[in-house]
Amino acid sequence: MSEKPASFQSGLLAALPIVMGYFPIAFSFGVAATRGGLSQAEAVMLSLVVYAGASQFLALTLFASGAPVLVAAFTLIAMNVRHVLYGPALMKEAGAEGSRRFAWVWAWGLTDEVFGQALGALARGQRFSEAYMFGLGLAAYASWVLGTAVGAFAGGGALDGWPAVSAGLDFMLSALFLALLLSILSRLAMPAIVVAVIATCLGTVVWSATAGILAGMICGALAGMAGGLVRGRG
Amino acid sequence: MNPDLVLMAVLAGLANWAFRALPVLLMRGEAKPGGLMAGFLASTGPAAIATLFVASVLPRLWPQQTDLVPLAVGTVVTVLAFLPKRSVVVATLAGSLAYGIAFALMHPALAP
Repeated sequence: MSEKPASFQSGLLAALPIVMGYFPIAFSFGVAATRGGLSQAEAVMLSLVVYAGASQFLALTLFASGAPVLVAAFTLIAMNVRHVLYGPALMKEAGAEGSRRFAWVWAWGLTDEVFGQALGALARGQRFSEAYMFGLGLAAYASWVLGTAVGAFAGGGALDGWPAVSAGLDFMLSALFLALLLSILSRLAMPAIVVAVIATCLGTVVWSATAGILAGMICGALAGMAGGLVRGRG
Repeated sequence: MNPDLVLMAVLAGLANWAFRALPVLLMRGEAKPGGLMAGFLASTGPAAIATLFVASVLPRLWPQQTDLVPLAVGTVVTVLAFLPKRSVVVATLAGSLAYGIAFALMHPALAP
């Protein structure tokens, strides 16, 4: 384990792949929002206030279809239930050093990618610090909001002439998740990983992408827990 | 600004904050080591990251397969770039670059 808790600056630096992955997606959202009839300010407001990628794209569809506000809000909320697992899992990995004094602020930035990056850092022996969480979360959030603003103001077509760049940026978050998975790979984690992969595929194919994500996380965590029990009795 | 849009955003944003922050703020001490909850939480991270990786590549494989070669190249390069120094940043950037290059080679007609 490293000597010092990670700093705010190291959090900013660790967010680099997230920033590079978020910006083009947020840019696409800004473009889609203004094409869908929202003003530039409304597009930026959605990224500032909701800060959840898939939910925001869905919000555009729901809003354009004239869905009742409460129905639309409930649908968006249901998409992000998985986030309730992230904080406790992170604090469990942080152990006794897991200060949560300012969690009411930094936990706002606990997206899928920020959670993955923070957990991977702890698994590699880095000490938990709220300053690191601030740096990691702030860079990702700023990238998301800035990408939306640039997309909303620039309009569509900016990357149309550069399809390979666009494709590479599209793959950025997949590559990030794969690298994070490699960073926490261990024999103990294998039951959770294997079951999560199978459950995600089945859930997506049989029901929907959102159901696949929830099924993967919950079944994987249950499998890991069961594996731990079996090892404990063995 | 459209007040309905603002209301929808505020409700969704409040729920997102609650999902992310309240479980941390309301945790009382640590889960009992070796207990069921400790095992569940310890497994949540690997399960979540594996799930998110699969969820991010699955749309390229199902229901229709698109750009399999760039996907394979990007995946292999990400793994190979990770191995020497176990750097997440280097692996991510190398994998994305390889994906973009493979995509350009597979689709020369789309070059600017």
